[in-house]
Formats: sequence, structure tokens, C-alpha cells
Amino acid sequence: MKMFFPRPDKARTKCSAPLFAPFATSGKALKALLLCVAIFCLSGASDPASRFSDIGHRMMCICGCNQILLECNHVGCPASDGMRGELMAALNRGDSDSLVEQSFVQKYGPTVLAAPTGKGFDRAAYIMPVVALVLGFGLIVMVVRAWKNRPAPAIAGGLPPLRGAELEQFREQARRETEL
Amino acid sequence: MTWLFVAALLTVATLFYVFYIPGRLFLGPEKTRVGYLRERKDAVYENLRDLNFEYQAGKVPDSDYQQMKSSLQDEAAAILAEIARLEPRNGS
Amino acid sequence: MAELGSFALLLALALSVYSFLAGLAALIYQKPAAQPAGRAHTPPEDIGFAALLRRGSERLAETSRRAGVASFGAVLLASIILVICAFQDDFSIAYIFHHSNRDLPGPYKFAVLWSGQEGSLLFWSLLLTGYAFVLRLRYKTDPRLFAYASVVLAGVQIFFLSLLNFAAHPFAIMQGNIPADGNGLNPLLQYPEMVIHPPMLYLGYVGFTVPFAFALGALIMKYPGEKWIHITRRWTMVTWGLLTCGIFLGAHWAYSVLGWGGYWGWDPVENASLMPWLTGTAFLHSVMMQEKRGMLKVWNMWLVFATFWLAILGTFLTRSGIISSVHAFAQSSIGDWFAWFLVITFGVFLFFFIKNRKSLESEHKLESLASRESSFLFNNLLFVLLCFTVLWGTWFPKISELVQGNKVTVGAPFYNRVAIPVALLLLVLTAIGPLLAWRKTSLESLKRNFLWPTVGAIIVAILLMATPESWGSIFGLKPWRDISYFYSLMAISLSVLVILTVASEFYRGGKVISNHTGQGMFASMVQLTHRNTRRYGGYIVHFGAVVVIIGLAGAAFNQDQEKEMGYGDKMSIGPYTLLCRSYTEDESPNYFSQWAMIDVFKHGKPIGSMTPVRRFYKASQQTSTIPDIRSTLNEDLYLVFEGVNQDNGHPIIKAHLNPLVMWIWMGVWIMLIGTGLALIPNAQVAVRVPATTRLERAQPAPVATGD
Repeated sequence: MKMFFPRPDKARTKCSAPLFAPFATSGKALKALLLCVAIFCLSGASDPASRFSDIGHRMMCICGCNQILLECNHVGCPASDGMRGELMAALNRGDSDSLVEQSFVQKYGPTVLAAPTGKGFDRAAYIMPVVALVLGFGLIVMVVRAWKNRPAPAIAGGLPPLRGAELEQFREQARRETEL
Repeated sequence: MTWLFVAALLTVATLFYVFYIPGRLFLGPEKTRVGYLRERKDAVYENLRDLNFEYQAGKVPDSDYQQMKSSLQDEAAAILAEIARLEPRNGS
Repeated sequence: MAELGSFALLLALALSVYSFLAGLAALIYQKPAAQPAGRAHTPPEDIGFAALLRRGSERLAETSRRAGVASFGAVLLASIILVICAFQDDFSIAYIFHHSNRDLPGPYKFAVLWSGQEGSLLFWSLLLTGYAFVLRLRYKTDPRLFAYASVVLAGVQIFFLSLLNFAAHPFAIMQGNIPADGNGLNPLLQYPEMVIHPPMLYLGYVGFTVPFAFALGALIMKYPGEKWIHITRRWTMVTWGLLTCGIFLGAHWAYSVLGWGGYWGWDPVENASLMPWLTGTAFLHSVMMQEKRGMLKVWNMWLVFATFWLAILGTFLTRSGIISSVHAFAQSSIGDWFAWFLVITFGVFLFFFIKNRKSLESEHKLESLASRESSFLFNNLLFVLLCFTVLWGTWFPKISELVQGNKVTVGAPFYNRVAIPVALLLLVLTAIGPLLAWRKTSLESLKRNFLWPTVGAIIVAILLMATPESWGSIFGLKPWRDISYFYSLMAISLSVLVILTVASEFYRGGKVISNHTGQGMFASMVQLTHRNTRRYGGYIVHFGAVVVIIGLAGAAFNQDQEKEMGYGDKMSIGPYTLLCRSYTEDESPNYFSQWAMIDVFKHGKPIGSMTPVRRFYKASQQTSTIPDIRSTLNEDLYLVFEGVNQDNGHPIIKAHLNPLVMWIWMGVWIMLIGTGLALIPNAQVAVRVPATTRLERAQPAPVATGD
């Protein structure tokens, strides 16, 4: 599930790689995976695992499947296994989150990050919706104030208001026809 | 070549349907002022019923209710009077 | 056959062009008497051709209408021919060759009509002319307004039929020898829901053309009063219901076929269907302001235009290849056509808006901030803001490329960060809105009516936090642990708030009726709903929507686990233990398949077995997974056959544990039921009053029929 609610840490174990005809993967990926599993088992503590999950969910698989790295689900994927291995290795070296992201961006280009960063023009992605909210809110406040200060409108269609007995007669009719 | 025959038949049938218009056309009722006023009356009546309902459901305080009801009834009365003036027989 | 199909398309185009031109001429030269009451009209000079047109304008208009009706027949014929060709495996037609094969099962051959570029455009045209057909048959409701709407629709028809005839011809013939078998249908589309998802979505997309046609027609003719809104209302609701259904069928299809355990990926094409839904939902709300109070006329005009325009923009995104997406169709040559169409429709709308904007002026007064009116204003702000966010996110990669020279990805993490807070605000509004009266609400009554639902929501929130985590899924929710848990808690408790306010609305309304009629509470509530189907049907739609949201909130607790499983191997996820009993391979004419049989235990007790499958389609040389899903109210166990270890032949199984997913599908059903209820005409019968009451005569209960 990669949609509405970002997911926190959940351990992921991947023990083997696949192989047979239409569903094959390379031996390299298998090694990377084994490495990844080994690191996983050795580290034990939840912290690297949760960092792995955290950063892994902020990156995309670059094979063209348009999926989040840790959610890329085709076993024959030429990219995701290797990338996961790299990510695990980097975390194991003790690289900081930003360093890991930077090295991935350098290697795979900026599209590897699943969302715009908070730097440079990328910030516009986050700023614009907020600007739109503020502008929209301001607009509504202005409209409400303007409409509240309007004089009571004349009756639509340019009708003259009634007076006297005629008014009472028709008001009575309206009252009868709309309530108990 | 059957398709040519079918296509020709289709064309003739379509032309016949589109251009052969016997009898009188339905033009609908003319949009008159009374018709427009009736629509307005329905809208005001709906608002009045809504107001009554919301008052009874406890959403509107008494003073606001009286004031809003009064202004809506004025509007309804003006429209009713105008309808009655334009259509003396059916107006009441 | 192909020749006849091509001819039918050409005929349809000719009829649409005639319908458009004749209709336009008839409207330009209509008789002065047909002008709406109370407006000055300068009689045009009566000479020559113009005079002839003026005398015959009514007959000309009738031929235009009939040509429009007939154009539906021609497009229908073309579609039927394409489907017949698919069933006959006529691979001399390039489209059939590319999207079908001999061993494709029957129902999927039917789906060939909308599985490729040309066919889906034909299908689009079929639905468009179909809607227009119904509209043109129902013209007696208001002949003049319908004539304008019919001309606008004929204009849109011309665009799509030109596209079919000149840019993306579905009956194009294969060059050279006729191949023995076709390339086959994309395996991802070989799933029962795929036979209904595209038609539903298209019905929704295309359907918004009708409210747009009415709106533009009303704008051009300076329609007096708000009656046209009343006429359009049902069309809009039906279309909205179909679009809702289409979007969620797509989500359900993604969930049950794509095998990544989710149902929404914020893919540009998914976004494309969401955007018109958001503006359409905003329109369904704000239109009540115009109907009841004559307010927001300009805004509604723009909203209905935006909805139509965004539906076309979505198609442009899918077909032009301008934005990369897994859904995108391969060719991009028709992108230019769509771009021009978007520009032209915008230009035409803007022109008439500027020309006739005076007819949209309203002079109504807003009595109070605490009113239904102002809640609709904020509702519209949030819906349009959500739509803007999605639009912005969809286009941002392109914008970034223009500005800083490199593309970026705008994926789920972006939308989670930006859209969820807005959606939560919208939930708050959904809870408060129904408690507000039109014009003015006393703060006292608001406080009083809001008290118990709030208490209820807080109790639910505390329960969720205090329960032990071992209860599974959403229990033991600690919002301080992670932002997603916080969002989840907020979403669920606000949903409870909405449900309670909706319930209290039914209760209070039922009590008023019951007081007047002496009926029981349940009978009163049924009568209440029947007397104002739109309002109470709408509340049921709200109820369904929050049930969907509760289901979405469950996603914060998703887990997954992946393992190679030989005979007797075990894997555990949440309360479940999975045991691999066997695995094997199979072959059918259309595909090879591999599957595993997994025994499932919950808390150690056997509860059945599951069989995830992976298929390799022969014709298209593509693989697809068929996950096995075990759904309960609490959670879904979702098993995917990911592949096979070539060394030992063991299957690799991925298990997802997705809490509350079933709520989403249930919520959608409730939303559709609510929409259906809102479509029923209001009951107008007088209420029978028992003799024991003090009332002197039967009276209608005081329920307005407004919203």
C-alpha cells in the first residue's frame, strides 16, 4: 500500500531470488540480496531496519515500473534488488540519510527520489498548495464579508413589495402552503 | 461489394429520418413571465419549508426564525400577487 | 466489414457536422417570439437567405436534432462492427491484430473495443453520442435549452469523430499478408473487472460533457432563472455516481491484479480520473447554493467547465505520452489534437463568459458565517484545493524540467504529505456542515447538536489508543509513534464524528416528522428520506465516504513479508501462519501458469488454504500475477506468487496483511446506494394524520425538497 498513509517500520525479509525462464533474475542481485539478508540478521536491532524501510519508501525503483523501491514487486526486476542491496550496504557503512540520498541521486538521477526534496525549486512543489490554500481562504473571507455587508436585496425580478391587506392575504397563502 | 449496397441503404434511411418531418413540431411552452415567477415561487416556498423544518429541528433560534420567515413570506407574497395580477383566474 | 465500419464513422462525422451547423444556424436565426420573456429583441433585417432561415428555423432545428440522434446510430454501428470483427478474429484490421488473439476468451474479446487507443476513442464517441442521444430524445423538457446543449454536444462529437476518421482510425487495414494470429490482449486487462472498469470510468468522464453542454447553453442563451440547474441535476448525479464507481473499480482491479498489495499509486492516470471527480463533487455541493439562493452563479459555471476540461485533460495526459505513466497508451501522435481541443474549448467558454457574464450576476446576501452557505464555500475551497494539489503534483515533473532542467518524481510521499491534511479538514467540514441551517444557525444549537457526536468520537479515539496492540489491525493505536498513526487516528475519529452527526440528523428529522404524524421513529425516518431524497441520500453518500476513509486509514498498519517456500516451509505474518503444502505448473491454450497451495492458520488454528497464481501469456509474451486474497472485516491476507527460485524450483511468496481494506469496498457500495436514493424523485403526497391528533386536516410534513 503506497497511497494515502505513509507506512512506518515493518521488517522485510527477502531470502532468495528467482530464476526460471520468464521470471529470471541475475546472480548479482542474488548476492546482493543474500548480503542484505545477512546484514539484516546480524544487525538485529530495529533501528537500521526502520531506517532501511524509511529511506526505501522514499525512493523509486528505476526500472520504469513507477513503484516505490520497497514495493516494487516483480521478481524479475532488473533494478530493485541491486538498489535494495546498495541501500542496505550504505546504511551499514553508517552513512547519514542525506548522504545515502545524495549518492543515489548521483548514481540514478533526481527521479530516484519518490517526492521532491525540500531544496531549491523543488520546494515550490510544497509551497504552492499552501499558497493556494491561503489565497483561497483569503478570497472566501473577502467574499463572505462583502456579502454580509450587502443591503437586503430587493425582491428578484423587480417586484414591488406589497403593503396592507393585500400583503396579509398573500402572506397568509404562503404560510398555509408551506407549514402546518 | 455488399457493403456498398448496405452503405447506400443506410445513407438513404438516415436522410429520410433526418429530413422527412411530417406534422407539427413540438416547440414547448413559451417562456413567460408567469412561468418564471412560478419557478421563483417554488424556490421561495422550498426555502420557507426548509426554514420551518430547521426551526422545528432546533437549529434556528426563535428571533432569527421570525425575522427570516417574515422576509421570505414578504417575498413569496410579492410573487404571488404578481402571478395573481398576470393570471387573475388562476392566481389564487 | 471494415469498409462498412469506416463508412459508419464517416457518416457519423457528417451527421455531427450537420447537426452542429444546422443547429447553430437555427439558433442564430430563431424567431423573435421564441426569445425569453422580458428581454428586448431587435428584429434582424428580413432579407434573402437570412429570412428563409428565420422562417424555417424551427424545422432546421428539428433536422439538427434528428441528425444528432442518427449520429448515435452510426457510431453504434461502427462499434458493433468492431466487436464482431474481434469475435471473428479478423486480423486484417490492424487494431484487432494488435489487441486480440484467437484463444482470447469471449468476454475479453468484447473488451477489445476499449483496450487500445483507437478502440477506446471509438468507445468514448459511442458514449458521448449515447448521452447526446438520450438528451436529444428528452428535448421536450425544455426545447430551447436542449437545442443549445445539443449544439454544444455536436461540437464535441465533431472533435472525437474527426480524431477517429483522420488520426486514429480503428478500422485501419494491415499492410501485407494477414497474420494467422493476433498479438493478444494485455494480460493485465484479462480480468473480469477490466471488462467493466473502463466503461464505468468513461461513462463518468464523458458524462460530465452533458452538464457542461447545459451550462454553456444556458450561458449563451442567458437562461433566465435557475431552472436549468434543476434540469442538469440528475445528469450530474448519475455521472458522478458512475465516475465514483469507475474510480473504485480501477482501485479494486489494481488491488486484485497488479499484485503489489495496494489499490492506489498516485499514477498520473489515476490522478487524471480523480481531478474531475474532485471538481465534480465540489459542483454537486455548490450547485445547491445556486438552486436555493441564486448565489455562486459564476463559480458554478467555472466549476462545471473545469470538470469537463479536466476530464479531457486527463485523456490528453493518457494519450499524448507527455507525462510518463504505467497506464499510458503507446502512441502520442494524437496529443496535439487534444491540446488544440483544450485550447479551443477554453477559448469558446471564455468568450461567452465575458460576453454574457452580466446574466450571471446575483444580489443575494449572506446572513451569517455560521450557515450552510458558508460551509459550502469552504467545502468548495478544499475540494478545489485538493484538485489543484493533484494537478500540480501531476504536472510538477514537467514544470521542474522546464525550470531547473531535470525531471523529478512526484510520488505517494508527496501526496501523503500535502493531501492528507486537506482531506482531514474536509472531514471536519463534513461533520459540521449538516448541522448548520441555511442562512443562519444559532451557535447555541450548534454547540448542543455537536456535543454528543464529539463525545462519541473522543471515546472512540481513546478506545483505539487504550486497547492492547495484540488485538491486531488498528487497535493499540499510538499516535505519537509515527505521523501515519496520527493521521490514521484522526481519520478514524473524524469519520466517527461524521457518522454520528449524520445519524443525529436522521434522528432529529425523524422526530419532527414523528411529532407531526404520530408515526414510529423508523417509519418517520424513511418518510423523511423519501420527502427529501437529495439531502438524505446525500447524507448516506457521506456515510459511505467515511466508511471508505476508515478503510484507507487502515493502510498505516500494512505489513508484508516475503519468503521462498519449499514443501512444508512456514512463514508468519501478524496472527497468521502460512504453510506451503504444494506447488505446481499448468498449461491452458491462452497461458502457462504456476501456483502454490498454501495452508493458512490463524492463532494456530487452520482456516483454509490459498492459491496465489502467476501466469505467462503466450500471445503477448507477458506475465501477470493473480494474488489470492482472503478478506475479512478486520484485515485482508493477500498472497502473491512472486516467482520461482531456479536452483530448486521453490516458489517465492509475498504475503501482505492489509487491515480494513474491505471497508473501502463496502463504503463504495453505500455511496452508490446513497446516490441511487438521491436520484429518486421526492415524495409529494400529503401525510395521513391519525384521528387522535389535534390537527384538523392532513398536512404535508414540513420538509423542504431543496437539497
